[in-house]
Parts: sequence; structure tokens; C-alpha cells
Amino acid sequence: MIRVEDLTVRYPGRRQPALSRVNLTLHDGESVLLLGPSGCGKSTLALALSGLIPNSLDVDFGGRVLVDGVDTREADVAALSRRVGVVFQDPDAQFVMLDVESELAFGLENLRTPPAEIDRRIDAALSAADMAGRRYDKVWQLSGGQKQRVALAALLAMQPQALVFDEPTANLDPAGARDVFAQIAALKRAGRHTLVIIEHRLDALMGLVDRVVVMGEQGRIVADGSPHQVFDQHFEQLRRLGVWMPQVSLLARRLGARPVPVTLDEADELLRRQMRRAGAPLVVQTAPSSCNQSPSPNPSPGPSPEVLSDQPALCARHLSFRYGSRVALDQVDLCVPRHDFLAIVGANGAGKTTLAGCMAGMLTPPRGAVFINGADAASLSAQALARQVGFVFQNPEHQFVTDTVADELRFSLRRSELPRAEIEQRVEEMLTRFGLAQYAGVNPFTLSFGEKRRLSVAAMLMRDQEILILDEPTFGQDQHTAGELMALLRGLHAEGRTIVIVTHDMALAAEHARHVAVMRDGRVALHGPTRQVFSQPDVLMAVRLDLPPLARLARRLDFNALTAEDFWAVAARAEREAAGALAQAAR
Amino acid sequence: MNAAMAVTEARGLAGLNPLSKIAAVLPAMVFVALTTDAWAPLSLAGLALAALALFGGVSVARLLRALAPAGLIVIGFLLFYPWVVRRELVAHTPVWFDAGGWMIHEGAVFLGLTAGLRIFAFVALTMIFNLTTDAHDFARALVQQARLPYRAGYAAMAALRFAPLLRHELNVIRAAHRLRGLGDAGSLRDRLDMFWRTAVPLLASAIRRAERAALAMDGRAFGAYPTRTDLRRMTFTWRDAAFVAGFWLMAALLVIVLWQLGLLGPLAFVQRV
Repeated sequence: MIRVEDLTVRYPGRRQPALSRVNLTLHDGESVLLLGPSGCGKSTLALALSGLIPNSLDVDFGGRVLVDGVDTREADVAALSRRVGVVFQDPDAQFVMLDVESELAFGLENLRTPPAEIDRRIDAALSAADMAGRRYDKVWQLSGGQKQRVALAALLAMQPQALVFDEPTANLDPAGARDVFAQIAALKRAGRHTLVIIEHRLDALMGLVDRVVVMGEQGRIVADGSPHQVFDQHFEQLRRLGVWMPQVSLLARRLGARPVPVTLDEADELLRRQMRRAGAPLVVQTAPSSCNQSPSPNPSPGPSPEVLSDQPALCARHLSFRYGSRVALDQVDLCVPRHDFLAIVGANGAGKTTLAGCMAGMLTPPRGAVFINGADAASLSAQALARQVGFVFQNPEHQFVTDTVADELRFSLRRSELPRAEIEQRVEEMLTRFGLAQYAGVNPFTLSFGEKRRLSVAAMLMRDQEILILDEPTFGQDQHTAGELMALLRGLHAEGRTIVIVTHDMALAAEHARHVAVMRDGRVALHGPTRQVFSQPDVLMAVRLDLPPLARLARRLDFNALTAEDFWAVAARAEREAAGALAQAAR
Repeated sequence: MNAAMAVTEARGLAGLNPLSKIAAVLPAMVFVALTTDAWAPLSLAGLALAALALFGGVSVARLLRALAPAGLIVIGFLLFYPWVVRRELVAHTPVWFDAGGWMIHEGAVFLGLTAGLRIFAFVALTMIFNLTTDAHDFARALVQQARLPYRAGYAAMAALRFAPLLRHELNVIRAAHRLRGLGDAGSLRDRLDMFWRTAVPLLASAIRRAERAALAMDGRAFGAYPTRTDLRRMTFTWRDAAFVAGFWLMAALLVIVLWQLGLLGPLAFVQRV
């Protein structure tokens, strides 16, 4: 049992504590999901549970954490490591050694385990993590999901009682995430460990979780209970906080169906029941084709397809690109029409970012391979490129080059011919539009992650670029800030800009993109209207991707829907038809 | 355990204790530094390459790639050394080339050649270690046989992993800055500014990475006790002894033969004395 009593943690140099008087009890064998908006102290709590705070990090520490009655401040490192292990977010940052065997041996060697025993435990831990046969592999040869399995195996070898997963799938493609979730499911079945999970891909996880704890500002616990209690009774509160919720729960709320389901099975059952009660016993089932002409083929309010002009905004023709001897792109053909909203998806290392980089002029493509508004990108000057295309990096910090938020925006126009007054006016405008006016004089590095992201987008749009390319725009954000950013992008799209996003998030692509390009091993495996791409789950699974949760639900119910809006439209029509039938019967 | 043995018992040079490889080549390297003639460095380089070819398990292509820079240095010395060498050192040798006061003496070319060959031999000898040694095995050997405190050894090992990650990050930051138009002006001030602007995010991310790695290590009981056990002992076996003795013997034989043939030339310290 782990008891957290009045825990307060403040990092040096910060005025506000990261955690303030947090109380929480975790029982043996429980699996607990920790939710909260970004910056609420989830990771800090994870480190405190494992004793790494305060033993390894220098912080102001108040209250106490008891692991099986032992105060973490008094326990030594060896004892703590045998009680609580942490799997971190970045699979590359947590490795000490270069090969799997040494990595697993590392912790046991530190505990002075005899070599014969180490050998035995390595084999046991690897088979428990489903990585038997990988003992002599080099770590860098593994996929992201396998790396997380090795990280887990390295902890299992030390036989801890509790395991903490701190966003273990954040850097992984959908297949990698599936891999990690399958592993957590196996641990849950074995029932030997207390599991604490911080995660925001919730739909796949909900079946494995006994309890959800929601944290608010400074770790204040605002909801604690079974998944059903939390997502049903605290729904509005969670929405206000901006935490991620299961897509099926959001859908049910949108449709006004209660009690709010948390898993696919529950949502399936609830919707069937709902439709039967509405007197329209799955009418929609028989007419999935009519959905193709549903009033919102794509909910994006952008210009209709007729407006799409002939001249594509971006075009790659037989584009190949290599890093040294590694081929990153192999004869890629992809045209993005003007005013399109394209999502480029694919597994880790499939070439998404390289393709986006070539299109934005961040990487220099070969001659005659990339065209921007019809002009060869290789022959455009850096200035001409920057006037037409904006590129937003995955880590917004990388592109900051000045000391204040306002300067960051001014910098983008420093080579323009605009008069000073006009530049200032534009800076003002953008600060207001992106909700950054109050931070004009603040250093960009001190902003929150969501604000940094908005600033990086604003800086890239100062020249009124027509084309905007974003690499993983919602990475590391909570539902609130991610939603805000996507609303912003849709606004820009509605103004007639061309938007390209690179993402691992299938739900994001399904909801916002007009077209989707699927990459595999440096080639475009599939490119078409969003709906069409997501109607081919076999192809998606084969390239390490997945259907978004709502699309999976729709397939089970046998209707053709991709987003909550689609479900809404189907439900509304079913209702109309049922009402019509009733009226007819009355007559 | 059998498979584990197979791995530690890797083929040829890669299976030796890293420290014994250093012990084998060190005397030869010191000797090369003392030579002034061309034959000794050439034959010791030949010995190193022969050892690599016979026991290295290194492909010819990789070997050539590794040696290419040293080869270029030899050519560089050959071309440029004659122009900068002190005239009085070579004035007594025949003139090969005379362009109105700019004379190239045979001795100058020879000095350039020997200087280049010394460097080449040096590089060739280090390849016995460089091309066949796993960095982690080296760190293990330093901890286990050379009594380096294990905290230092393993901290260095973790740091080794950072180099490629940070290099990648640096490239991304540079690309981001280029895209924003930083660094397209050439003035010194702009360049300093650019350096600083790159250093800040890189440093921030290096610190973050180091902190995360430290947490991951502490989380697995690093430093819990003054000593730790080792799954893989680095050993010093008869193979190591045979390799060190064999390499010393061959090197000594070569030197003696050259000396007998009068091809050794004066050694640096002998000359000075």
C-alpha cells in the first residue's frame, strides 16, 4: 500500500508549488489512472511515489509518502528500487546501456545480485515482457514499443511491487502504443503489481483501469473513483479542467446518452439500446451508403471542394531523400491542392517529418522534386520560401530566436519592406489573436507548453503565409490546449490557407483532415479523402497505424461514421425517420 | 548461459580485453613517435593492418574508410611539408625542383613523407583498439581491471549515449533557425548571436536529458552500495596474454630486422643526445 499524506513539492526557483497538500492512498494490486491538465503535477507525483523525489531531485518537500509503511525519505535507494519502478515517457532517455542484456542487468548489478541469479532473472523478465529472444539485441535496433518493453523488463527484473507508467506511449506510433497497452494488460491479468498509469490515449486503456484519480491545479485531487463514476458524474468538471477523456465518453455526452460509457463495449451496448428505445431499431444499419452523402462529409468549415484550384499548393514528384546511406523517402508522389487540410500519418521512421521538411524547405530537396505553388523548391531563395510556407516544429522551443514574445513575432518581419507602424500593428493583432497579448514582454522559454506552441504558430504566420505545415501539433498538450490549437488551425483553414499536419493521433486526423496520406517505409502507401482512408482498417493496421476509437465503434455498429459529428447526424436522421414513421402510423 | 558465453567470447580482437589491446600497441606507438626514417613506421603500420586483417573481423571497406583520413594526411604532408621545412635541415640534399629561389630538396620531400607516415602508423595502430572495441566493454574493463570507481565508469557510459542524440537535436535546432532566417547574415555579431541562440535550447535540452537519465539510473538503484556485481566479467585470459606477447614479439622482430638492414635510421632521442 502506498500512502501520500499532505504531500507538498516545490521546485527550486519556482514560486508556486508543483504539488500542494496532496492526499492519496493506493491499494495493493489496484490499477489507477492519473489524469490532469498539463502542468498539474502528475509527473511530480509519479516521482514522489517512487521516492526519486526527494531522494534524487533537490526540491522543497513537505508531508510524506509511505510505501508499505516505510517513509520514502528514510528508505535507501536500494530498498526503494525494489518497491516502486517508473517507466518514463521518452524511451531513449531512460536507457543506460547499449544492449538489452546489459540494460536488464544494470539494476540487478547495482543491487549486488549474484551473476547466476541475474542471468535467471533476465530471462524471466524478458519473457514476462514478451521480449524473449531479444536478449542480445542492441537497444537502437528496437522499435519504440519494444524499447518501452525493455524499459519495463528492466524494472520487472528488480521485482518491484508497484509500477508507475509516466506517459509511456507519448512518443510511440499507434502500433507501439498497442504494444505497450497489451503489456499493461498482461501485468493487470497477472495481478502481482500495483499499477499507476499517466496516459492520454484513454480508449484502449479504460478496460484495464480500476480507478481514476483526477488532479487539478497543484495536484489538488478533484475526482477519485471508478471510471464510470468519474466520467459520468464529474464530466463537466473534467471538461473545464481540460483533461483528456475517452472518445466514447465524449461521444455519449454529445448524443445525450447516459450513463456515460468508458469502453468500446459499453458504448456499443448503450448506443444499440438508445436506438432501440428511440423506436428506430438500428435503421441506420441497413443504409450505410446514405452516410456517404451525409450533410457534413467533413465537419471542417473550409471552402467547398469546388474552390480547390488546379495549381496544387505543394507537390512532390518522385521525391527521394536520404540521410547518409539511409533512404528516408523513396520516390514519393504527393500533391496537396490549395486550401486542403492534409494529415500525414505513419509509423515512427516512415518518413513523415522528412517529407514535411522537404515541402517546407527545411531540408533541401533535389531539383525538380518539390514544387511550391508551381515553383521548384530547390530553386527558391530562403526568403521566397519563407514568404509562402510556414513550418512549425514538434518542439516549439527549437524555433525561438529572441528574448521576448513580441520580438519573436517582429523577428519574422525583420527583412520585410513593411513600415514600422504596420509591423507593430501586425504584431499586436497576432498577439491578440493567439491569446498572447499579456505575455508580450515575457521570455518565450518561460511560457507554458500550450502557449509556446501558439507562439510558434503565430511567429510562422507573421508573413501571412498561405501554406502552414505542423509537425505533431498536439504533442504533449492536454485536451484543452490541443482543442484550442485545432480550432485555431480550422480558422486559418477557413480563411483559405493550406494546412498540413504530421501526426500519430488518428482521432485528430479523422476529425480535422480533409485528406490523409499514409506513409510506409519512405513511400506514400495510401492517399485520399479522410473517409476513404479510414475505411481501410486492414491497410492501416499493416502500416502500424490504427482506426480512431469512434471509427472502430461505428464499424461495430455497422454504420459509416468517423467523428462525433457523424454519429450526431446519423442519430438525428434516425430520430427524424422514427418520428416520420410514428406520424404515418398515427395517420 | 551458453549463449551468453558465445557473446562474450566474440571472435578475434573483439573478444579480447580492451586493456590488453592497449597494452599490445602502446610500445609500438611510442617507438613510432621516436623514428625519423620511413621504414619503421611503414612496417609497424603493416603489422597493425595484418593483425586487423587476420583477427579483426573488420571488413576491408570499413578499414579503408577508417584509414582514408590518415592517407590524406600522408599526401598532405608530402605536398606541403617541403615548402615549410627549415632550409638548413635539407640544404645538403640534392635539389629536385627549382623555380627561381623556391627550391625543393630531396630531403624536404623525405621529411614530409616520414612525418606523414608516422601519423599513418599511429592511426593504424589505434585501429586495433578503435575498430574492434565496444565502448561499454572498455568502460567495464576500466572498472573491473583498472580499478576505476564504478560510478565514474557508468556515468561516462550513460554520457556516451548522449552524443548522437544531442547531435541530432543540434541539427534540428539549426534547421529551425535557418527556417526563421537566423544566420542568413554574415556579420560577426550575427554569427555570435546565432551561436548563442543555438546554445540556449541545446543546453536546456541537454540538462533535461541528463536529469532524466540520472533519474532512470537512480530508479534502478545506481550507487546503492560501494560495489556492484557484474554479469559479464571482463577477463584477462591466455588469449590476451598470447596477443600482447605476440604483438610485442613481432614488433620487436621487425625493428631488429630493420636495424640489421640499416633501414632503421636514427631515433629522435638518440639524435638529440
